[in-house]
Amino acid sequence: MRDDRIPEGAPQDSLPGEGVGLDQALQGRRVVCCVGSGGVGKTTTAAALALRAAMDGKRALVLTIDPARRLANSLGLKEMGNEETRISPSLFEKAGLTPRGEMWAMMLDLKHTWDDLVRRQAGSAQQAQAILDNQLYQTLSTAMAGSLEYMAMEKVYEVYNSGRYDVVVLDTPPTSNALDFLHASDRILDVLDNNAMRIVLGPMLRAGKFGFKLLAAPSGLVLRTLARFTGSDFLRDLAGFMMAFEGMYEGFKDRAAKVKTLLMSRNAAFVLVTGPNALTIQEAVFFHEALQKDGIGTAAVIVNRVQRDPRRHGGPDNLPALKEALQLAQIKDEGAPPLSERLCQTLTEQAALVDLEQREIERLRERLRGVPLFVVPRLRKDVHDLAGLWQIDRTLGGE
Amino acid sequence: MADALLDRRLVVVTGKGGTGKSTLSAALALAASRRGKKTLVCEVTVKERVADFFGRPPSGTQIRELSPNLYSVHVRPREAMREYALMTLKYETLYKIAFENPAARYFLTAAPSLAEIVMLGKVWWHASQEMERGRLRWDLVVLDAPATGHGLTFLTVPEVFLRLVQDGPLARDMRGMQALLADPQRCSVGVVTLPEEMPANEAVDLDRALRGHGFPAGPLFLNGYVASRFSQPEVLATTRGGPLLVAAGEAADNHEARAALSTHYQQVLREALPRPLVPVPFLYERTFGVHAIEKVAHAIEGAL
Repeated sequence: MRDDRIPEGAPQDSLPGEGVGLDQALQGRRVVCCVGSGGVGKTTTAAALALRAAMDGKRALVLTIDPARRLANSLGLKEMGNEETRISPSLFEKAGLTPRGEMWAMMLDLKHTWDDLVRRQAGSAQQAQAILDNQLYQTLSTAMAGSLEYMAMEKVYEVYNSGRYDVVVLDTPPTSNALDFLHASDRILDVLDNNAMRIVLGPMLRAGKFGFKLLAAPSGLVLRTLARFTGSDFLRDLAGFMMAFEGMYEGFKDRAAKVKTLLMSRNAAFVLVTGPNALTIQEAVFFHEALQKDGIGTAAVIVNRVQRDPRRHGGPDNLPALKEALQLAQIKDEGAPPLSERLCQTLTEQAALVDLEQREIERLRERLRGVPLFVVPRLRKDVHDLAGLWQIDRTLGGE
Repeated sequence: MADALLDRRLVVVTGKGGTGKSTLSAALALAASRRGKKTLVCEVTVKERVADFFGRPPSGTQIRELSPNLYSVHVRPREAMREYALMTLKYETLYKIAFENPAARYFLTAAPSLAEIVMLGKVWWHASQEMERGRLRWDLVVLDAPATGHGLTFLTVPEVFLRLVQDGPLARDMRGMQALLADPQRCSVGVVTLPEEMPANEAVDLDRALRGHGFPAGPLFLNGYVASRFSQPEVLATTRGGPLLVAAGEAADNHEARAALSTHYQQVLREALPRPLVPVPFLYERTFGVHAIEKVAHAIEGAL
C-alpha cells in the first residue's frame, strides 16, 4: 500500500491524511481516477480536478465517459470519436480565469476504442476485419459488462504513454460493483484467453487450430449437454469468435498487465467521489475496501453536494420565536399555511438533512481514517461551465 | 391509472444509477400488495436492497415474504443458471456432468451475456408461472432492473440472443420473454429520474432507446421532487429580514433553489417525454425504512 507522507510541520500524533490539502494529496500523480457510484458527481469532479491542474500550470486531460450535455457543450466538446479537444482560451477568458497550463478533454467512445484495439493487436487487416464483422464481437464490444471499464483503462494508458499530458484525470464509468471496475480486464481476458472455453468448445473448433491437448478435453457429452441448454448456434458463434481472436491473446494480456501496473504505481491516484447520503457512502466504503484489497490506497475522498447548515447563523427555530421575528422585521405572517409555519417546517427539514448528512460524513471519516476528506457544499444550480467548475475547486481549498 | 399500471403482469423499473430504482420498485410492490395483489419483487442488481427497506434480512435466492402479499427474491447468475439448467435438463446427473465440469463451469461464467440471459429467463419464469387451473402464481412481478446502460442491455438480451440462436430451451424462453416485454397489456417499463441535468438527460435518451426497441412506456418517476413553498417576495423579505431571520431566510432560499430545479426539469421532461410524469417527493427521513417506502407508495397512488 502507498504511504501518503505526513506533511512537514504536521503535529506528530495526527493521522497521515489529516490536514493534507488536495494538491498535496495528488502531488506528482500523473493519472487520477475518480471512482464512486452513479449520480455522485464524478464527471463534474473529474473536470474540476483537470481545471485545477490546468490553472496550476499543467497540461491536463480529463477523459470522460458520459458528460452532462450542457457541460460538454459549454466546454466545446465533440460527441464522438475519441478526439482530444483543447478547451479554448476564450472560454477561460469568459469565465474570468487565466490558466497557466492547458485543459484538454476527451469523451470516450466505447466502440471506437475496442475497434482500435482490435486493429492494433490483430496480426493482419484480414484478421481484424473478421473480428469486426463477427456478430458476437459486435454485441460484446458495446454491451458486455466490464467492457466500458476495460476500455477506459485502455485509453488512459494510451494517453498516459503518449507523454502529451502532465496529468490525466479519468471519470470512471458508474459501476455498481467496485470489483467490476478493478477487475474488468481480468473478466474480458477470461473471455478472450480462456482455456476452459476452448476445451469445452474443442470439438467444435477445427482440430489442431489452437494446439491444445485433446487429452484435456472433456467428452463431447459436455458440449452436447450444454448445447441442449444454450442451443448449438450460440456455441458455434462463440467458437467462431474464439477462432477469430487466435494469436491475439498474448498481446491483450500483456497490455492489460501494463495497465494494471500503472494503476498500482505511485504515478496513479484514486480519488473516491461520493454524495452525503447513507447509500452512496456505504458504497464509497465498499470501494475503498476493494481498492485496499488490491493494495491500492485511496488518495482522497470528496463528498459532493453537502447541505450547508442554516443554523450556523443562530436565530429562532421554533414557531413562536419565528412569529415574533417576523413581526419585528415587519413581515406579514400570511399565506396558507402562514409564512412562519412554512419557515419553521423548512428549517426543521433542513436541520434534519444536515444532521443526517453530517452523521454519514463522520461515519465515512471514521471508516477511511487517514484519507484526506473534502466537502463540496450543495450549489444553488447545476454546474455546467468553467466558472461553475472553478467554484467547486475553490471550495476544495486553495486558489 | 394506478390500477392499470399495477394490473400488468410485469412492471420493469429502470433509470440511471442512484435515482432510486429499488425504492420505487419497493413502493410499487407495496401499493400493489395493498390492493390484494400477490406481488414479487425480483432484484437482479449486485446488491439486494428491498428486503432491508422492510427491516427484513436479505431474501437471497429464496422467495421470502416481506409484508402481507409482498415477496422478494434476489436473482443471481450462478444460482439462476443452476435452477434453469436443472429445469431444462431434468436429470441431476446430466447437470452435474455438464455444469460441474470445471472447464464447463469456467466457460459458463465467462461466456458473454449468458449470465444476463439466465437471470432474465428466471424473471420470465416467475412472471409466467402457473398454479392449478391456469391461475398465475404471482399477480404482479416487479423487476428492479440494472441502471440505464446495463439496464437497456439487460432488457434487449432476448433480442440479441434470438438474433444468434433459434433453437433450444433458452431460445424458447427468450422468445416468451421478448413477447411479454413487448406487450403493453401485460408489461410496462417505468423510468426513474431526478431533477438534475444528467439524470434528466439520461431519462430522455433511455426513453428513446426503450421505445426504439418496442418496450411499452410506463410512467416516468421524478424522484426527489421539491415543491415550491414560498413566493419570491416572501423569500426576498425573509432573506433581508435582519439578523433574527438569517437562518430562516437561508433555509427558505435553499428550499426554493431546489424547488426551481424540480420545476425546471419537470417541465423539460414533460416536453420531451410522452410518458405520464409522477413526482415523488424528496424525503427528509432519518432512516430509510418501511415508513419512507409507505410515503413513496402513497405519493405514487395519489399521482396515478
